[in-house]
Amino acid sequence: MASALTQTTDRASRPKRARRNGVVGSRAFPYLLILPMLALEGALVIYPILRGALFSLDTPAGLGLDNYRYMLVDPDFWRMIQHTLVFTLSVVVAILAIGLSLALLMNWSFRGRGVVRSLLTVPWAIPEVPVAITFVLMLDPSFGVFNAFLRLVPGVTENPQWLLDPVLAMLVVIGATVWKGFPFYSLVLLSALQNVPDELYEAAKIDRAGRFAQFRYITLPGIRPTLALLAVLAFIYSTQQFTLIWLITGGGPVDATTTLAPAIYMQAFRFYNFSYAGAIAVVGFGISAIATLCFVVLQRRVEAQS
Amino acid sequence: MSTLRPTATRRRLPSLEDALRGAAIVVISAIIFFPVYWMIVSSIRPSAESLSFPPPLLPGSIDLQSYVQLFVEKPIARWLLLSTLVASLTVIGTLILVIPAAYALSRLYWPGRSAFGLLLLFTQMMPAAVVVAPVLALYRGLGWTDNLWALALLHTAFVVPLCAWVLKASFDAVPKEIVEAALIDGCDRWKVLWLVVLPLTKPGLVAVSVIAFFASWNEYLFASTLITRNDLYTASLGLATLMTQLDTPLFVLMAAGVTFSVLPVLFYMAIQRHLLRGLTAGAVKG
Repeated sequence: MASALTQTTDRASRPKRARRNGVVGSRAFPYLLILPMLALEGALVIYPILRGALFSLDTPAGLGLDNYRYMLVDPDFWRMIQHTLVFTLSVVVAILAIGLSLALLMNWSFRGRGVVRSLLTVPWAIPEVPVAITFVLMLDPSFGVFNAFLRLVPGVTENPQWLLDPVLAMLVVIGATVWKGFPFYSLVLLSALQNVPDELYEAAKIDRAGRFAQFRYITLPGIRPTLALLAVLAFIYSTQQFTLIWLITGGGPVDATTTLAPAIYMQAFRFYNFSYAGAIAVVGFGISAIATLCFVVLQRRVEAQS
Repeated sequence: MSTLRPTATRRRLPSLEDALRGAAIVVISAIIFFPVYWMIVSSIRPSAESLSFPPPLLPGSIDLQSYVQLFVEKPIARWLLLSTLVASLTVIGTLILVIPAAYALSRLYWPGRSAFGLLLLFTQMMPAAVVVAPVLALYRGLGWTDNLWALALLHTAFVVPLCAWVLKASFDAVPKEIVEAALIDGCDRWKVLWLVVLPLTKPGLVAVSVIAFFASWNEYLFASTLITRNDLYTASLGLATLMTQLDTPLFVLMAAGVTFSVLPVLFYMAIQRHLLRGLTAGAVKG
């Protein structure tokens, strides 16, 4: 299996055997190959991160940690963290649960499987802006089709104000994010399910293991590393989410759906407080850095297994 | 999909369980697909139908007026053209940067390679919101705001890490015997890349181009902060503006959404497997 950080080097390329024919044969050659990309990442990703961190230290009282001191006692900041946790955990759990259920359902030969696979790709491929437009339309309190379905439930006689109620608005942005995101997780889990060796199931049948026992002792251990890896990816996907939240609720009502990304944007472009926005961005950077390290560790585990 | 299991090991008559499974798949697919259906239906029927409650699930009559109105009254053609321009520049920039880098990651041995891989993952996982304010400050300083070239450069910076993984996986799959034979025949590593490896990895190159194109095509956050002149609006920006303008008829808005989504949907379906591999940095087979 192809691996990201492990070696698949040709023997001939090891330095001791490299022929020295100018730049191409020299030790500097690999570095020259990555230099343009490194320069761009340095200039437009790494440098802005550092500059943002510097913004955060630049306070009216001079260079200092005032922003971070303020952050510790800022109720808005802690509410944002709370909203981010609720949003992120719900998205991760829902996306993996739905993704896995669907993958299990599809892990079976049937006619039209290719069609279902292609249909599955659609929500994932539709850009976020049209997704936001569609969800807003479906939830409109006066003519949204979602309300028409909801009214079929006995006892529901009024169309809820989806985007004006803090709890419902959170449910809406979670729902839209999960809907747009889950196909990827389903497709990856499906391929993980198909990598679980057949022999294990054959052996289980001979031992008369039931359906549940097969799932518990064969399927689940077989896909656990992939599941963990995907949990980290879903975590990153949901903490990055800006466009859907911004266009569906604008972070509201009040600040009920303001998670990390909209909070940074708001501080910077609504309140023009680049310095405090920088401080929140540093928190975001920290979260994402930790998640990346988890990803690397889990990725090695997936590779070790396959 | 090579292996199908466990029920598919032998051909046999469909059982009750298979029927239930099939039914479940149909129902779930319908639920999943519903928002897409709704978007399309709302764009092809008269507004009055969409605005009644409860809205009829099937269109009573087909009215393509929305698309006519969209293209005549709104500058959608211009938006799509500018999106195509920015996305094409992003593809060119991405290919220039990613081909040599993926080659170095896949085929060469050098100290610091793992560190470079880690750095790429880092930048790939970084939320755009973390850098958006400092990037705006940087771009203002350089006079690069309201500049589609500069926007494409930024899109390139945010998509190359993912593309590097996709192309690396594709380079990894070239048999090393072929490369070694070329080396023995006197090709140097630069020529091996262009004359041997690249011709064998055309699907990978296509996948990378598609990913870069639509990453740029779909992007909203950077576009909305860096582009303020409405004659430079890209489609995602134009669409978001239509959404907030209260005078845009609903069916025109939905028509714009459908128009904007057609290309990415078709292309994503085509390169689905490559995408899966790239997004998990090669750890999972697509």
